[in-house]
This record gives sequence, C-alpha cells and structure tokens, in this order.
Amino acid sequence: MTDIWDVAGDRKLFHGGKQDFNKAASAAAECSLFMPDYEEERVADELRSCYNCLYRRWTSNSFQCMKNIERT
Amino acid sequence: MKALLCIDDTDDLESPGTGELLQNLCAVLEEKGLAEGGFVSRHQLLLHDDISYTSHNSSMCTELTLSRENFRRMIELSREYLENNCAEGADPGLCVVDLEALKDFEILLQFGAKAKEIVLDKADAVAVADKYPETIFLSEHGGTGDGIIGALAGCGLRISGTDGRVKGKLELTPDELMTVDQFCEKYGITAVLDQNNRIVSREDTLRLVSIVKPLVWHNQTAVLVRPDEKKMADWRLLSKQEVSL
Repeated sequence: MTDIWDVAGDRKLFHGGKQDFNKAASAAAECSLFMPDYEEERVADELRSCYNCLYRRWTSNSFQCMKNIERT
Repeated sequence: MKALLCIDDTDDLESPGTGELLQNLCAVLEEKGLAEGGFVSRHQLLLHDDISYTSHNSSMCTELTLSRENFRRMIELSREYLENNCAEGADPGLCVVDLEALKDFEILLQFGAKAKEIVLDKADAVAVADKYPETIFLSEHGGTGDGIIGALAGCGLRISGTDGRVKGKLELTPDELMTVDQFCEKYGITAVLDQNNRIVSREDTLRLVSIVKPLVWHNQTAVLVRPDEKKMADWRLLSKQEVSL
C-alpha cells in the first residue's frame, strides 16, 4: 500500500475516492502510461489526471488502475 | 415522429468512443435523409464488479426526428452501421423506441432507474422489449450482446428527462462576465440552475470558467452555478469536476 494506491493481488485501487483531484493529478503526472479517455468520459478539469485516463476502471467508490500493477 | 436511439458497449480501448459512434451514425442518417438527430446524452449506469464494462459503464442516447415512413429503414441502417463499425471485442447493443407508440413510459423509466442500482442481465432487458414489440426495438450486434441492457436503460433514463450529461463541452474564457441571458443565447443553453436546482434569473450576471459540461434538464440543456466567491458576478459556473460523476 502507498499513499495513492491499495494493491491487493492483481487489483490496484486508487486511495482518493472520486473527489481527490490533486492526488489523481499527481499520480498521472508520474505515470508514463497515462492516456486520456474520450472527451465525454473525462471528469477532471486538468487533462492529465487518473480520473481522465483511459486505463482507469471506475468502481462504486473510486477506480482501479488497469494498466500497470507494478507501478505503486 | 420522434424516436430514441441508444447504443452501448460499442467500443474498446483503441476504437472511437460510443458517443462519437452515435454522432457518426446520426450524421449518416441525416446524410441519407432518414432522420435528424438531437443532442447526444451520456447516462451513467451502475458501477459494479459483476458488470463487464471496460472503464465506465455508460450508454449514449439521442432523440431523432423523422417521418414515419423512414422509421423501419432508420432501424435497419442503424443496425447495419453497428455491425460494420463497432470494435471487434465489444458487446454492442442498440435500442430504438418509437416515442409516439409508447403508451407505458413507466416500465422504461423503472428499467433505467434499476440499471443505476442493481445488476441486470439481458433477459431483464428482453422481457421489457418483448412486451412492446412494435414500440421498443432491441438488438445485439456482436460479442455477448450485453450492450442491450445499457441501450434499453439509456432510453429509460433519457425519457426521464433529467439524467446524464450532454456529450461535448463548452470551452470558455475563465473570468469572462456576461448575463445569464447572454450566456444561454451564445451557447444554446436552456437554463442556468443554482445549487438547489432553481432557475437563475436571466438578468443575473455570470462568471465563466474554462470548461463546462452541460447537463440534461427537462429534456433540454442546463448548466450549474454557485454564488461567485470572487464577487465579480452574481454567480460562477461550476466546472466539469465540480459536477460529480
């Protein structure tokens, strides 16, 4: 576990829920695999945010990063 | 006549999004003189581990205006379009609802609401459509065909008139000031709503922010505002991220 991710088995869940825009932007800033999702699916004002990334899978409370489980 | 056209599960990580696909389909329908599309709305469905969405579980819907004689051809062409243009690994579904023939809105409204709360399966969607064979046209177009669930739900949510966001965004100049009336006229927005969903006066002033996503409101478009904390105007627009997922 880090201050950004909870890693359990092959699941890597974002700690910040759906409203921690600063944390989501910080995580995306450090990620070489960030890829913006379609415009209609972006929710953060700042483009480079895990909340806008094609590789996030929304859950009821947060999202799961589907791309690189090794990145923590 | 008016009809709803909704699609779901048409894309993968490499293909155009479902919203873009629906816009492209509408362009083809218009080109062929079969129908004219309205705005495209995005409807968020349940986020749950047991549902096999890739990254978000949402469907895209539009209202078509067309002549009765083109209705069947419009459905055929929409089906062909999905067959030819959906992503390989997708599970596409299409739903068309004849709004003039639809007498019982409640069953669709309920299905849409349920799709936000519980896990539904294809049999649930087919059971609804089978009750109205000449009104609700549901079809699978590859893969598991699970997209019919979201496609039907999207029609129910669009009928509710107050669910979802309008596809597209308004790119604005931050801190620009204008009246609500000027804003609505310039950007084709029907209403500006405060945090209690009350309509703001057209004479009030508004401070803009960089990106805004309009919402579906009474089958039209609306944006949200809050009292302007900088006191430059009566209200400030809520940005994309201030309008929660």
